[in-house]
Amino acid sequence: MFAGQVVFLIIACLMLGAAVRVVTSRRIFHAALWLIGSFFCVAVIYMLLESPFMAGIQLFIYIGGIAVLTVIAIMVTKGGMHPDSHTLGNGWSAAIVSISLFIVMAWTITQLGFPNEPGMPVAEEGLALLGAALVDPGGYLVPFEVVSVMLMVVLIGSLYLGRER
Amino acid sequence: MITGVPLSWYLILGAALFCVGVYGLLANRNLIIIMMSIELMLNAVVLNLVAFARFMEPARITGKAFAIIVYATAAAEAALGLALTIAIWRTEDTVTIEEIDLLQG
Repeated sequence: MFAGQVVFLIIACLMLGAAVRVVTSRRIFHAALWLIGSFFCVAVIYMLLESPFMAGIQLFIYIGGIAVLTVIAIMVTKGGMHPDSHTLGNGWSAAIVSISLFIVMAWTITQLGFPNEPGMPVAEEGLALLGAALVDPGGYLVPFEVVSVMLMVVLIGSLYLGRER
Repeated sequence: MITGVPLSWYLILGAALFCVGVYGLLANRNLIIIMMSIELMLNAVVLNLVAFARFMEPARITGKAFAIIVYATAAAEAALGLALTIAIWRTEDTVTIEEIDLLQG
């Protein structure tokens, strides 16, 4: 067993444990803190995948942006007023649905025969190629511009929705 | 660096994270926790994209370009969802989905 496999299993257990605490935690602020831990474990998985750039933007966007935004929303709404009973009565049926979905997906993944090792080593200039592809008209220029316009529209719409009336 | 972790392990991890998100989406009634579950599901999807980019693709550009666009979409979704949550809090004084009946559905 490689050291990488041991690291992967430890990080996977930490990530799934944190994610389960996010969805079952009684206090919403604790759920937000576990969410940050889960995002951090995903960033470590990206490092195992030899994608340090993706790990960096995972830290910046998810922990620095989305998780902080969630914490601010919790503080503004006082955690939603019901700290003790924020789960529905259908916890068991939700668990059955999600576990059976996981069994189907895991069975499909194991049946498909994916490769065990990456075909080739990491390209040295991978990040430069990614940046060039994002602004290349033959590459991903159109989705890149569309998503930037969408971000602009969404941020203006969020300001409009969240303004003081 | 050979980590020795097969691609299917990453995919199963992504599937497990996605299913935890599905459980949170179905079992909670607080809008903010539902938003967090959606973030977990999006994170699982991006994990799959990055894993496929590492293992299946020689140039390793397409998966990451998709992942960056999914990141932008996730940021937009979080901003809009939390703005909606705060707007509902202002008008209804609750973020519990059973008590939100503005549309009288």
